[in-house]
Amino acid sequence: MQPFTVLTAIAAPLEIPKIDTGMILPGRYMRRHRRPGHDYGEAFLYDLRFDEAGRPREDFVLNMPVYREARILVTDGDFGCGSSREGAAFAVLDYGLRALVGPSFGEIFQVNCIQNGILAITVAEAIVHDLWRQLRAEPGAEMTIDLPRQVLVAPNGTTHAFEISALRKDRLVRGIDDIDATLAHADAIDSFERARRAAFPWLPTARRE
Amino acid sequence: MSRTLFEKVWSEHVVVVSPQGEELLYVDFNLINEGQSFLAFDQLRIEKRGCRRPAQHLAVTDHYLPTINRERGTAGMANPEIRRVVEMLDENATEFALPHVGWHHHDQGIAHVIAPELGIAQPGMLITCNDSHTATNGAVGALAVPVGGGNQLRHVLATQTVWLKKPKTLRISIDGRLPESVTAKDVILSIIRAIGVGGATGYAVEYAGSAIRSMSMEGRLTVCNMSIEAGARIGMIGPDDTTFQHLAGRANAPRGADWARALAYWTTLPTDAEAAFDRELTFDATKLAPMVTWGTSPEDCSPVDGAVPDPSAIGDADRRRHVERALDYMRLTPSTPLEQVAIDRVFIGSCTNSRIEDLRAAAVVLEGRRAVVPGMVSPGSSAVKRQAEAEGLDRIFLAAGLEWRDSGCSMCNGSNGEIVAPGERCASTTNRNFEGRQGRGAMTHIMSPAMVAAAAVFGRLADVRRLSGH
Repeated sequence: MQPFTVLTAIAAPLEIPKIDTGMILPGRYMRRHRRPGHDYGEAFLYDLRFDEAGRPREDFVLNMPVYREARILVTDGDFGCGSSREGAAFAVLDYGLRALVGPSFGEIFQVNCIQNGILAITVAEAIVHDLWRQLRAEPGAEMTIDLPRQVLVAPNGTTHAFEISALRKDRLVRGIDDIDATLAHADAIDSFERARRAAFPWLPTARRE
Repeated sequence: MSRTLFEKVWSEHVVVVSPQGEELLYVDFNLINEGQSFLAFDQLRIEKRGCRRPAQHLAVTDHYLPTINRERGTAGMANPEIRRVVEMLDENATEFALPHVGWHHHDQGIAHVIAPELGIAQPGMLITCNDSHTATNGAVGALAVPVGGGNQLRHVLATQTVWLKKPKTLRISIDGRLPESVTAKDVILSIIRAIGVGGATGYAVEYAGSAIRSMSMEGRLTVCNMSIEAGARIGMIGPDDTTFQHLAGRANAPRGADWARALAYWTTLPTDAEAAFDRELTFDATKLAPMVTWGTSPEDCSPVDGAVPDPSAIGDADRRRHVERALDYMRLTPSTPLEQVAIDRVFIGSCTNSRIEDLRAAAVVLEGRRAVVPGMVSPGSSAVKRQAEAEGLDRIFLAAGLEWRDSGCSMCNGSNGEIVAPGERCASTTNRNFEGRQGRGAMTHIMSPAMVAAAAVFGRLADVRRLSGH
């Protein structure tokens, strides 16, 4: 996983509420294998970015040339609600985004993002509306997200603190994968498992047929 | 100290308490669908990691499996991409030595239908699955949590554990007797309408109250199933006699002396009388009505005797923007009575509403009547299918002009290729009415099985209470 420390990049405003994971990664793209960083970017918000004939919708914000290099998306409420497909996070990442800022996110999606090195941060609705206003006024403006200090710097220089669990922050900043962190507790898992089996011998197990 | 059901089950599974805000929990059982699980297996192969406890996993082929032409095996799957996803789960289950209920299996069905049916889902367990509707299994008093199909599933396979931030607790009590024709689906849709699709985000929900206590296990599974449509990853119901009767004799339920020990443990799990929740909500069951959705989010619903909302009358700017966009996508005119909305097809199925009680409810409405639009019925499992056929329900659906299919997720999200055509409007017993959910440009109205059956008879959204004799 690529570490996340301080990101300064073009931010795009995406002012559509309740974009679910099926819009972020349409189901028909979920059959694809993926080389991390490739393969899923094309599918990102496909039906919003392209019309039925596959032509880019010129009025869609991410199709504006000024947002070609955007790395931050300022989203609307409930972004990533719905299906748990982790491919939605892959699509965000492969499209080239590293951070999402919004008033609320689907919980599974937000966890999937953070576990894949995408910082998805929740800030108050009023701040989001203010960021949209600034980004609309100056298309292509940059924002900074400073994870170690947990602050977001708006295009006009105002700063906003954001929250993230200390554990996620630590793993994101260091780019540590969850499995490696877990295997440090291998002995604890072994003894927990033995005790649980002994206390609850009826717990179900399945067999290969 | 008084504790909630959730707190009791959670604390039983904590392996490592992290000072940094997440805990490592032990996974008793994990279900795997073909979804994007191939991404997890791809990565494990690269890392040369195996599965730690194969007997505590069950691979279930449900999302990509067509509901026709089963007798022809994988050759009956016309779309090569879809066939490949089905084959990959077969191959991955074999390579990682995982138990597998595949397309050819006697128990084949939708994961969240067969886990309770086989007695795999039991009170007090921690269950994971790479599917957002995993909370369905919480209806038996389990802590059932969805995990991402790539990294998180890979983590569960390799370590039999999952990192989770402990959610806050929310009790939703539904008290009183449900009126005639008001079902579990109407209960959960009414809750989602009231609190919104983000209303329970960050909470583990416990459903309680006399309406839940008197609800069948099938109904409880439907309520817990749609927890995620209110934003909650976890939904649970305290185990009681209904739960124990449901479990007794199931293939994986404890037997003999184990049954007595298990029962003694399970009866300690319900929330203590004095336990406090972070948040409480109450609903009056007697005030609820049959619901239908009109928009592109599960919260966009209304009692069936209502009308399409008028965005110009909505004060909140964000809400107005959403409703305008939803009505545009759904091709609906503000203030149109919902019962005037004509439909093109119906679908009865999905992990939400495909159990035997659901099929019976639809069959009662359709018996002796004809559907005026095409549609299909997909039972939630092969066992449900056999039971329905033993009761003659298949003949009622066929006589009404609907197709009687095999089991799978099917038209709920169309990943098996069974989709609603662009511009078509479908009355559906499923759980999501998002833009493009049932196919690009498809318009979905979700409701209970009896309401879908009524819509099939009238060719429009319809109040099932209008049909005499029902």
